[in-house]
Amino acid sequence: MTRESEEKGMDRQDKAQDEWVVGGHRFSSRLLMGTGKFQDAETMVGAIMASGAQIVTVALRRVGRIVQEDDMLGPLGELKGITLMPNTSGARNASEAIRAARLGRELCGSPFVKVEIHPNPHHLMPDPIETFEAARILAAEGFVVMPYMPADPVLAKRLEDVGCASLMPLGSAIGSGRGLATAEMLRLILRDARIPVIVDAGLRSPSEAAAALEMGCDAVLVNSAVAASGDPIAMAAAFAQAVGAGRNAHRAGLMPQGGGTALATSPLTAFLSVEGQ
Amino acid sequence: MKLIVNGAAYEAKRPESVTALLEEMGIGGRPVVVVLNDEVVPASSRSTCGLREGDCVDLFRLVGGG
Repeated sequence: MTRESEEKGMDRQDKAQDEWVVGGHRFSSRLLMGTGKFQDAETMVGAIMASGAQIVTVALRRVGRIVQEDDMLGPLGELKGITLMPNTSGARNASEAIRAARLGRELCGSPFVKVEIHPNPHHLMPDPIETFEAARILAAEGFVVMPYMPADPVLAKRLEDVGCASLMPLGSAIGSGRGLATAEMLRLILRDARIPVIVDAGLRSPSEAAAALEMGCDAVLVNSAVAASGDPIAMAAAFAQAVGAGRNAHRAGLMPQGGGTALATSPLTAFLSVEGQ
Repeated sequence: MKLIVNGAAYEAKRPESVTALLEEMGIGGRPVVVVLNDEVVPASSRSTCGLREGDCVDLFRLVGGG
């Protein structure tokens, strides 16, 4: 049974067009893109366009006194059909994340916020307690809260209960390229989630993105996997194809998994025996 | 006028408004969010928002991130 058959705020039109809804906003692309680590603005924009992503994350930074930094994000504003989602990366606790979210909303003009609180730079694991606290307060203020979180099914339910618009459990550590290390936990989250589940962080290959969609995740977010690849624009396109394939496979329904013994698809070769012997 | 901009002392020559300060700093047309004494100054209010001695101004912009 696919997750479409569960009530998730989707109407029949959404299901037919395979759109997904988050925070009351409708999207057709199930690939979200980050904007970090790109060599230059041109590559970044090319990759975003090749990915077909409709939700693109950005970060906040203080402006330097001497304004000489490249305006990487200027060209982004000219792309049509993109929803910018500021993250709160850099925040060490809920209070800082809430402050960052309010600044991000002012700059982006969108209610979307990726709550991202990872105080330890060695592993960049999200702080579950500060994330919950920030999510609770921001949801009450009307933000479309997308929390970056450990792949914990109990936390997932808590975040859903306080009004998050989606869940963004990690696949593995940010930038690690370790793929879907949390697959079993993701399955547990998927069983009970009533809001979209977006795997975020640690993916390296398009096949991992396909696997995430196959298992029932609603979308994936990638950044390093594209930006740090050999050819980011080509890789972004590959991810888009993989996400589409994974989603189609999920809707088609994978074949049942055997119990360990083989199940022949062709008749066994008894016909080769001479009749009567 | 002595201000604190992004945590550092700054001698403003054009403190008559936030807009003027941004222009003085060469940030004029670029998308930034202005926080004055811990409160966000909406873009629409910048030209009428004056500054006083010792005000804390923090400026933020969007950068790449995942």
